[in-house]
Amino acid sequence: MRSLKEIVKSFMLWELLVGLKLTGRYVLSKKITIQYPEETTPISPRFRGLHALRRYPNGEERCIACKLCEAVCPALAITIESAPREDGSRRTTRYDIDLFKCIYCGFCEESCPVDSIVETHWSQYHFEHRGENIMTKPMLLAIGDRYEAEIAKARAEDAPYR
Amino acid sequence: MIDLLIALVWIVLKILLIALPLLGAVAYMTLAERKILAYAHVRIGPNRVGFAGLLQPLADGLKLFFKEIIIPSKANPVVFVLAPIVSFATAAAAWAVIPFDEGWVLANVNAGLLYVLALTSLGVYGILMAGWSSNSKYALFGAMRSAAQVVSYEIAMGFALVGVLMAADSTNLQDIVLRQQGGLWHWYWLPLLPLFVVYWISGVAETNRAPFDMAEGEAEIVAGFHVEYSGMSFAIFFLAEYANMILISALASVLFLGGWLSPFEGIPVLGSLFSFVPGIIWFFAKMAFFLFLYVWLRATLPRYRYDQIMYLGWKVLIPVTIVWIVVTGLLIEWRVAPWFI
Amino acid sequence: MIEIEIDGQKVEAEPGSMIIEAADKVGIKIPRFCYHKKLSVAANCRMCLVAVEKSRKPLPACATPITDGMVVKTRTAEALAAQKAVMEFLLINHPLDCPICDQGGECELQDVAMGYGKDVSRFTEGKRVIKDKNLGSLIATDMTRCILCTRCVRFGEEIAGIVEMGVTGRGEASEVGTYVEEHLISEVSGNIIDLCPVGALTSKPFRFKARAWELNQHTSIAPHDPLGANIYIHTRNGDVMRVVPKECESINETWASDRDRFSYTGLNAEDRLLKPMVKAHGEWQECDWSLALSTVHKQLENIHQHCGEDRIAAVVSPNLSSEELYLAQKYLRGLESHYIEHRLQQVDPQFIPTPLLARERQASIAEVEDMDAIFLVGCDIQREVPLLGLRVRKASLQGANILSLNPLDFHFNFEQKAQCIVSMQTFLFALAVWIQSELKAEELKEWPVLDQLIKQDVDYCGHPDERALIQAQIESIRKVFVAGRQKLIIMGALAINDPQASLIQQALLWLAERYDAKLIFLLAGANQHGAVLAGAMPEQAMSIVDLWHAKLPAYLLVNVEPELDCTHPALALKALHDASCVVVMTAFVTEKMLEYADVLLPIAPFSEYAGTLVNLEGKRQAFNAAVHPQGEARPAWKIFRVLGQLAQMPGFDYDTWTEITPDIPTEASKAPLSSLTERYRLPQRQAGLQLLPYWPLYRSDPLVRRADPLQRCALSADPVIALHPETAAHYGFKANEAVSWQQEGHVATLIVKTDPSLSLDTVYWPMGFSETACWGALAPLVLERMRALEENE
Repeated sequence: MRSLKEIVKSFMLWELLVGLKLTGRYVLSKKITIQYPEETTPISPRFRGLHALRRYPNGEERCIACKLCEAVCPALAITIESAPREDGSRRTTRYDIDLFKCIYCGFCEESCPVDSIVETHWSQYHFEHRGENIMTKPMLLAIGDRYEAEIAKARAEDAPYR
Repeated sequence: MIDLLIALVWIVLKILLIALPLLGAVAYMTLAERKILAYAHVRIGPNRVGFAGLLQPLADGLKLFFKEIIIPSKANPVVFVLAPIVSFATAAAAWAVIPFDEGWVLANVNAGLLYVLALTSLGVYGILMAGWSSNSKYALFGAMRSAAQVVSYEIAMGFALVGVLMAADSTNLQDIVLRQQGGLWHWYWLPLLPLFVVYWISGVAETNRAPFDMAEGEAEIVAGFHVEYSGMSFAIFFLAEYANMILISALASVLFLGGWLSPFEGIPVLGSLFSFVPGIIWFFAKMAFFLFLYVWLRATLPRYRYDQIMYLGWKVLIPVTIVWIVVTGLLIEWRVAPWFI
Repeated sequence: MIEIEIDGQKVEAEPGSMIIEAADKVGIKIPRFCYHKKLSVAANCRMCLVAVEKSRKPLPACATPITDGMVVKTRTAEALAAQKAVMEFLLINHPLDCPICDQGGECELQDVAMGYGKDVSRFTEGKRVIKDKNLGSLIATDMTRCILCTRCVRFGEEIAGIVEMGVTGRGEASEVGTYVEEHLISEVSGNIIDLCPVGALTSKPFRFKARAWELNQHTSIAPHDPLGANIYIHTRNGDVMRVVPKECESINETWASDRDRFSYTGLNAEDRLLKPMVKAHGEWQECDWSLALSTVHKQLENIHQHCGEDRIAAVVSPNLSSEELYLAQKYLRGLESHYIEHRLQQVDPQFIPTPLLARERQASIAEVEDMDAIFLVGCDIQREVPLLGLRVRKASLQGANILSLNPLDFHFNFEQKAQCIVSMQTFLFALAVWIQSELKAEELKEWPVLDQLIKQDVDYCGHPDERALIQAQIESIRKVFVAGRQKLIIMGALAINDPQASLIQQALLWLAERYDAKLIFLLAGANQHGAVLAGAMPEQAMSIVDLWHAKLPAYLLVNVEPELDCTHPALALKALHDASCVVVMTAFVTEKMLEYADVLLPIAPFSEYAGTLVNLEGKRQAFNAAVHPQGEARPAWKIFRVLGQLAQMPGFDYDTWTEITPDIPTEASKAPLSSLTERYRLPQRQAGLQLLPYWPLYRSDPLVRRADPLQRCALSADPVIALHPETAAHYGFKANEAVSWQQEGHVATLIVKTDPSLSLDTVYWPMGFSETACWGALAPLVLERMRALEENE
């Protein structure tokens, strides 16, 4: 047997009114929708987007074909072939990342001993033709050259925490 | 002869005057629902198509127009195509007796209330025809449940309207409104408050709207009776539902909130200040409030389970209406002011 | 056997063995860097320090012999502290090269540091750096990484017999390198790549190519010499990346020769044949297999029908697998011809191949190191079968006396007790002298030939009769040989390829019988033994020179480049040019081939096909393919199967190569062909220059010739002919002079060099070069006198 209070509340539709008050409050509240693409959400310097191969300030590519990134990649997205360069240094002849396999986990970036392979902030890209999902070494180096300023800045921002 | 023709043309014109804005209203009701729901969800609804999303219904309509109408192979094509038409027709036909302002009514029938009740009952046929002719078990289940739900809540609705009938001593909708003249407290929502609430709840249940939308809930029953519909036939069901919504809102404002009467009537200063506002505006404002309430309810409440719907309809609302009808009768007998002098 | 306890476990081991050997036997891991089971104990890394009861300090497990009742603990606090400390010391000067070091992933330093070392370094000072040494085209050096374990030094000194690597300097300035700047000159130098526990010594052809963890391992057998060394082929994504030795104590211990190790680099040569080609109207066209095979079938069938039997010859490489050789001879005999020859370098058809000799007289490879006296006859053992040379050296270090009868002093990496250096013609004289000294007067009568031999004159260009000198040398050899308890006679390629090889063989067989000695015949090629068993020989006594002389209308060459692999190369080329149908099954196509061939069929070389090889001790070893054949190449046995089926010969429906092996006879069924006691007349001894052809270590087969790193290394040969300085002076030549040689119409210009280790009158002629492929007169079998014309350049 319900108490008198409960019966009165039930007939007065008390809970309904409480509920309506709640949603009503939200109807009148400030909306948090971001108007994409005019506005974008802020991203952290650790954001993992498209990959890039970096260079040293003097222009030499950082990658030394150690193949740690290839070994650690959980999706086996990286394919590397290497050979000695004319000057005898250890360099890759082939460095492919298959973006369809990649899960953007950032393990390659973590494992690289020379900070060569990094993930940039760039995530709004698309492909138009079959085969464009394979990022080859020249493509990755080009991305690195294009975004080096942002990459260096993001690394500097994150450095105190590593 | 000419008079007949002129009268005919005039009637057709009046029908168009009601039907076309109705269609427009139905279309923009969809946008309003999406926007209000979005706002309750702390997000903005459609705002890309046209300024603030105002062309969204146009886009949706065009999309549905161009979609293919798939008739299932073992379905009964005639009934399949007829079902949405029946649904929409009954919803639209009831508008014939709704008074928009003093004298502004297409058919000032003395049995207006009865007419409306009859047409809403006919609406069930559309659902049943859709569910059966789809030749799909989910459609059939959805249709059965929907039909049972609608029929159950009709009784409660009927009883609530009986209360209004008793109070107004007429089934003519125009007279019912006129009987509520005098001010905000003269309207029937005050003496017939339980009946008002019951009427509203039944109205929500009749139109298969949240929280009574078990029959078309996507997660439970995959859109229920209109699961096999696509393209324009689906669009018509969609329109029928919204037309019904607007109809219930209109009826609620006519029967309980004084139709086109100004709420400031009878108040010394404000009454005269707002006397310039045409009655139809008040009518639309009251309808808008009810439509907003529809969406507000949808945003707030979780879906009723089917047995809970049945329980509510039969074991709660009907007893309430019966009791209040007796109370109303007593109120009328004792000529309680200021409604029943 | 005495019992000791290691970590609570009871272990039984030989007295005198070290703790570390006992621990390895039962699988207890003691970390070590400088200890290697095949090298002497150095105990200079101190990583294997273990706690031994009753000892004040931890003892190195590799240098502490076990005593009865010894209790050893390898994981006490003391031992662990010692391990961590040693690891820390080693890592002080070790550079942070792991990402760029080829040894990463298979590095003993990495593994031991992970298991036994500390985590964070405490060293904040500067690390020392060492300049890299240039050790040649095979071994890459990064000496900064060297941890001075001296395994390479000990390997050089003990196993390879070269004293080139050593430690110079003291303390922090110590470096391992060659004492004098020079390339490492050894035919087994590649083994220091395996030995080096860090990335200081790595494989130059493999440099930076792949990581150990991305390689797949396939077992195989080395296809270049009759030892049958077990190897692993490492592949990645269907490409052969490198070859490393597989441990097989009875055959190759833990070593591989450089030829086995680096020959894979020839697999992707530019002239690799990938599609069948047919010559139509003088133009070469690539075609598909069905056209090529039907062309071959039609042409051979044609010749068979019109010219009768025995008009088609097959010259097959002795490096092919037994299955391929078996099907080749089956096909040829199906075409009613028995002219199939695999003995590309031999001119004496009456030389008895090993399978036809008594099994009990054959020595196994492992037995060689237990011998007390080893007699090398015409054998440059280090450059023919390098790993057998290691065994001979091992025997020598253990006190065996090595004796040799050679046409030049080969400067082996072991000491020789007595030598006799004479030209090949004089071998029989020397052996006859020996035999004569053992025979009693009445037995001599059964040896008419012997008398003839002994009465030969042994004049050399301008030198008087050397008879007495040779007799003295042979006598000293005989004395030492007889004194040994276990005796072994090894007959090498130079003697086997001699025109009088069968007589030399008879002499050696007699000596073996007489002294109860064992024998090894170093037939060239990985599978000559298997070839004989498969029947890839003619029915009669004929050599390959007879095949060329026969001027047959059709020749079928399988994995052979006759001008480089066969004796009498000019003769071979002439015969091929004159033939109307030459079908070449090869993995590589040369200019000359395009001239004389009519059909070229690509076959799968080493690592791309499966089969069995029989090594010199008669052991059959199977190997599987490591990668798929490139392009359209097919294993040769498949080609023969299809040809056999096209010709509707019975017994050619094999689906897999394993079905063929049971069909190959395991015993040879032919009777020996001649005997010394029956020999008719000896050929006349020739005066003047004697051409002595030999195949240098890295020119032995088509694959090795295309292995660039081997061709650039220190041991690679040049197409230069060598003469003794006195001989050169006698005939008026100077060193490094270009001279013209003539032989019955064949003329060529060659460079001459002088070498005092040669015997007089011998022209040491390196084969396997197109420059030197100019001799081979259309004259009878015996070596022609070479008339040398002076032509100054």
